[in-house]
Amino acid sequence: MGNKDKVTGEGLRKSVIDSIKAIDKGPKVLKLYMDMCARCGTCAEVCPVYYGEPTELRNPVVRSDLIRSVFKKHSTISGKILGALAGAKDFDGDLQKFVDAFYECTGCRRCATFCPFGIDNSVITRKGRAIADSLGYTPETMKNVVKTSLETCNTDGASPEAFKAAIDFLEEEMKDEHGIDIKIPVDVVGTDYFYVPPSGDVLVNPEATTGIAKVFYVLGMQDKWTMSSKCFDGANYGLFTGNDADMKADNKPYVDEAKRLGVKYMFMGECGHAYRIMKMMMEKGKWWGELPFKVINCMEWTADRIKEGKLQFDKSKNPMPVTYHDPCNFGRSCGIVEAPRIILKASCQDFREMYPNRGENWCCGGGGGLSAMDDIREFRMKVSSVKKMEQISDTGAEYLATACSNCKRQFMQLIETHNAAFAIGGVHDMLSRAILINGKAAERVDWEAGG
Amino acid sequence: MDVFVFKIVPFFTILIFILGISYRFYTWKKTPQPGAMTLFPVPHESTSLSIIKEVVFFPSLFRSDKTLWGFSWIFHAALALIFIGHVRVFTDFPALWKALSIDADVMSAVSGGIVGIIIMIAAILLLFRRFGSKRVREISGFPDYFALLLILAIVVTGNLMRFGEHFDLQITREYFSQLFTLSFAGMEIPQNPTFRLHFLLAQLLIIYIPFSKMLHFGGIFFTQTLIKRT
Repeated sequence: MGNKDKVTGEGLRKSVIDSIKAIDKGPKVLKLYMDMCARCGTCAEVCPVYYGEPTELRNPVVRSDLIRSVFKKHSTISGKILGALAGAKDFDGDLQKFVDAFYECTGCRRCATFCPFGIDNSVITRKGRAIADSLGYTPETMKNVVKTSLETCNTDGASPEAFKAAIDFLEEEMKDEHGIDIKIPVDVVGTDYFYVPPSGDVLVNPEATTGIAKVFYVLGMQDKWTMSSKCFDGANYGLFTGNDADMKADNKPYVDEAKRLGVKYMFMGECGHAYRIMKMMMEKGKWWGELPFKVINCMEWTADRIKEGKLQFDKSKNPMPVTYHDPCNFGRSCGIVEAPRIILKASCQDFREMYPNRGENWCCGGGGGLSAMDDIREFRMKVSSVKKMEQISDTGAEYLATACSNCKRQFMQLIETHNAAFAIGGVHDMLSRAILINGKAAERVDWEAGG
Repeated sequence: MDVFVFKIVPFFTILIFILGISYRFYTWKKTPQPGAMTLFPVPHESTSLSIIKEVVFFPSLFRSDKTLWGFSWIFHAALALIFIGHVRVFTDFPALWKALSIDADVMSAVSGGIVGIIIMIAAILLLFRRFGSKRVREISGFPDYFALLLILAIVVTGNLMRFGEHFDLQITREYFSQLFTLSFAGMEIPQNPTFRLHFLLAQLLIIYIPFSKMLHFGGIFFTQTLIKRT
């Protein structure tokens, strides 16, 4: 983790400037973004935060300039000679301004989708947060999530006993629903699939996990998968504080556990950033060398089984209008957009799209880890989510499915704050309510919508 | 003075531009990039084809801001045409015109004239947009206005040569051909003040490119590759 105590004074100034100068050595993406912006303002046009309340510091270019102008001052010829005339400006010593600004960016990458050059401001945001973290300025709420996760391997700080109790409860629920024993295997060595959900899908919105269990049951693969009582939360806030060491330290136990369990697949649940880290960063970047398993995602896997005709549904169990919110990390960052729609269309009577969607979808307003920060709840409720709420309301949906615990938490609070008339849940949640087991769907429907 | 400005400086301009751009490209190329930055949906066609499309038609901008797309696409397309058109300032291809049975002077007067007016209007619109729109005004600083005004000044002086009093292209063509062949003896430096201003401003622009945001004409290939490759 970053510094415990806040660094101040000249030491702070020097550290900030040194970290920004280090961009010259890479990564390439960051260095290019220092040199490349044409300042056309397109990013502000498509940014959920700027849309919500367009203050100057919320303009993505102004925010990114906090770092870019210091880089110009210290690392470019034109900035050294021409100073302000070349857009260069020295660091003014106010690191709290960095923190406030960079924790108002949801890191959704929507700007990169529309920028003519593909400049991804979330990369600069993450650099800004990394600087803050190294000097002890990460907001306490975020620090605590990282600390809890590094200590307990999950962001809720839940013990293996609490996890097992939750699993027992889910097995009982499924028994009530279907009158049969549907198992959720825990700590079984030598199976094929190691299911890694966000802890929320066990402890808060557990229907997604029962949905997964039912799919394995229907396919006759009850003994082919397992969960771990130690590693049941793919969430990894090192991505959000910008601290690569924390991100890797948080990741390693999961890879070790997958090896210990001897599985063929790390089977990621409905958590966008967890899947992004495992698939796009850890696996592709070969953090831990060659792996004896492959990283796959539960939604693509289930969608494939639906396409093969192996799963049947009673759509009348989900008669209400349902829409899907593409979590930024699944949509823009991993390209998983069709699988959730296949599952929802198979299990719901009235699936509706919101517009725009898929890679162009608007962020829920809680991305980049902001969803966990109740100290900026007002901002999340009144600023960063304005466009999203308009989008949802235009669909007339009564159930909003999404595949991300952070999005879900944001939506739960939005529903509460704005008395919104829709329920929130996961994708496999809808499947869980409608899937046919021995020709019958779940009997009970008294799950509180949204958990 | 004239000798220095019109016989020596142009070589420095070219040298600074080439060295500056090469240095930029070199540092971009060698800086390491750990991890993929892929942004989905990834293009159906190959990465390079999709980047060429991006460079030629600005589809990302088209999807987000049609007004800016219109202004800036016309602006850049005109820039490209002007760049090509200027080849005739340095040399001519009488055989080509004859083969195509085109009167080159008429063609260049009409098309060059139209494009010169179009880019002037586009540059003025982009300038108005800079202070007319809040989100653009708050990110516009000296370098942004300077770049546009510089280009506008070059365009205006260029148009003056075309639409103002008669300008003899043959004199500049001989000047450039002597400059390129290093035939300094007997070189006649053009005296037309509009041309001299146009030429100096253009050199200022060329020198300015490697050290300013105008680098985006080359950087776009690098940044787009990062998000488009899988």
